[in-house]
Amino acid sequence: MAQATKGKLNYRCPSCFMRDIDIDMFYDSHTEEYYCLRCSFRGKRGEVLKLNQQARYRYKALKLRVADFGEDNEPVSFKPHEGGAQ
Amino acid sequence: MDKVFAVNIIHRPELSPEYAEKAYGAGSGVRDESLDIFVFQQQTAHKYGLKTTIQMTYASLFSDEVVELAKHDAKKYGDEIGLSLLGLPCKQFREKYKTEDFCIWMFDKKDKEAIVDDAFSMFFDRFGFYPESTGSYFLDAYTINYIKKRYPSVKCAIATCWEEGPKAYHTCNNSWYTFMDGGPWNPWIPSVVNSHCPAASKEDDSGIVAIPHLSRDLLACFDGNGSNFGTHPQNVLRGMIYYRDKGRYEYPYLYNLIDQYRHLEKYNDGYSYNMMFVGPGWLNKRGRWEAPYSLLAQSYDDAMKYYGMLKQRGELWDMTMSEFADFYRARHEDYSTGECALWKDILYGSNKQYFWYASPYLRTCLDFNQGGAMIDLRPYAARLEQHTGIGTDNVYDASYPYLIQANYRAGYFTHYAGAGTVKSCRVSYHGKQADLCLCRTMARYEKTATGVRLICDPVTVTLDGLDIVIESVFEFEKNGEVVVTRRIVNNLGGEAVTLEEYFTGAYGTTEYQKDMTSVTLGVDDSKLEYKYMGRSITAEGRVVWANLPDVSTRIEMGGCGCVLTASEGIAFSPVYHLSLQKTISKGEIKTWLKLQKAN
Repeated sequence: MAQATKGKLNYRCPSCFMRDIDIDMFYDSHTEEYYCLRCSFRGKRGEVLKLNQQARYRYKALKLRVADFGEDNEPVSFKPHEGGAQ
Repeated sequence: MDKVFAVNIIHRPELSPEYAEKAYGAGSGVRDESLDIFVFQQQTAHKYGLKTTIQMTYASLFSDEVVELAKHDAKKYGDEIGLSLLGLPCKQFREKYKTEDFCIWMFDKKDKEAIVDDAFSMFFDRFGFYPESTGSYFLDAYTINYIKKRYPSVKCAIATCWEEGPKAYHTCNNSWYTFMDGGPWNPWIPSVVNSHCPAASKEDDSGIVAIPHLSRDLLACFDGNGSNFGTHPQNVLRGMIYYRDKGRYEYPYLYNLIDQYRHLEKYNDGYSYNMMFVGPGWLNKRGRWEAPYSLLAQSYDDAMKYYGMLKQRGELWDMTMSEFADFYRARHEDYSTGECALWKDILYGSNKQYFWYASPYLRTCLDFNQGGAMIDLRPYAARLEQHTGIGTDNVYDASYPYLIQANYRAGYFTHYAGAGTVKSCRVSYHGKQADLCLCRTMARYEKTATGVRLICDPVTVTLDGLDIVIESVFEFEKNGEVVVTRRIVNNLGGEAVTLEEYFTGAYGTTEYQKDMTSVTLGVDDSKLEYKYMGRSITAEGRVVWANLPDVSTRIEMGGCGCVLTASEGIAFSPVYHLSLQKTISKGEIKTWLKLQKAN
């Protein structure tokens, strides 16, 4: 069995990403899965992409554009971001 | 003064980017690819009518092609040609210096001087003049002073990357040794003694204006991984802060971040600043992180497009680095005005709000989500002489030490025992106690004749059925004092409550505390040598203090005619405590904090 390699894109371990560690995974062509050297995560590309999407849960303003920073002691007001707009 | 949003856009042709070389090998076409990336970046900025600073790297000075490109763009677009001390790695450098090192602040003094002279001489040979701008991820005072002495034309330098320290190290699987926490987030004039510290006087002025390596999110970067949250489009992609909508990737956070930097003019007399400096490795043709090249390129184009649109609307002034240095000096007539940033969360959807303040005396952060608790404090007044590089005590660690760093050293919350570093206030009544760290609030900013003031919205503490409504006010004086007022704003019906203003401190540059037995604590003339015994001195006095010889700092607190206490910690909780306590039934207590250079 040949050694593992980097994938086409350097997918990071989604489990480590969630704890603020950026570590590239390696690709095992025999099992067609990515795996992490740092933790025990292993998964197919589809699972990695799904978990990367889940990792965005903390960014509650991910799709929002600031409408107004408001008064100093008021929260920021947001509006939905329009695709292609800046 | 007029509102100005000043922007520096900086590009460096590396030809041999360290990221690409490591990942793909030096002989795999990285040179041509890197040149293409530089050309793409230049063309993109110019497409949107923006001026850049081209920071020539050591490797690029060997390339006739890049030299001609730089000359062409300087002539046609008004770009500045500067000299970067990043991008040292290349065949010629390695053969000459017999090393794989590439960070200028990590070399020994002799090599620092040799490399600076070598690069500046080559630059002069190529262009017929010496540069007016230079930089690196970090520039120590020794290197800045040497450059300024030998090449007085230099007036601007990239001198730190904000809060790049243990967080970056951990994020990079404990492999990225760029420890440079503790500096200003926005441009400053560095002290001749320590480049992190804003100069206090003409004599202390290094002669350059320093700019940060990136403009970073002042909340997200402090709380988490620093490398995901800056005005660097590929950092935003690294943080996965984008989504796909109708076949196109969107990243409004990048624009929100630029806008919040623009908003900071409100706290700095109409001046605000932003910089973008994307190294070629981030626009790698093979893609980076999970993002394909098309997304990397699109995000860079979009960033330039946004800057270009702001410029067209007259809301952005693109400057080269040396132009910015002239502008900055003209705009900052004294050395004592602090840089201010009242910063709101724009990513996580919370109402969290920080206030950052940097002056020649200190850098600090108040967290209004914790009632205005001080969660970061750096004693610039100490003017620490920190030498970095091989042959010194700090081979790689260039961070300026903290006295308080609530994330590295716990802050309010600890696991069962001990205490974390934070400055806050405890309220007691009938044997019950609450800490204002647990009172979420927001604050408003005011400029005063002698500094700035932050006024928190009042919070309510309820103890044994008694509601105690407290307003906290923080004043940052130009003389370095921080004055804190805790004001009871409701009628307590004659009931007396005890307020304890406290400072739990430590010192260091990482999460781990060095031996503290050199520390001395005291109240007025009474003192205590630190021995991890948990002992205290309590007295009615004038000043409670701590001397920290390892960081040349003396901390003093006083002001309310209170009971003062200085306490040492224990081995399990290596911190020290200073506090002032007073019992009142109405009115306020006012205390002050001063940092001074010791020994």
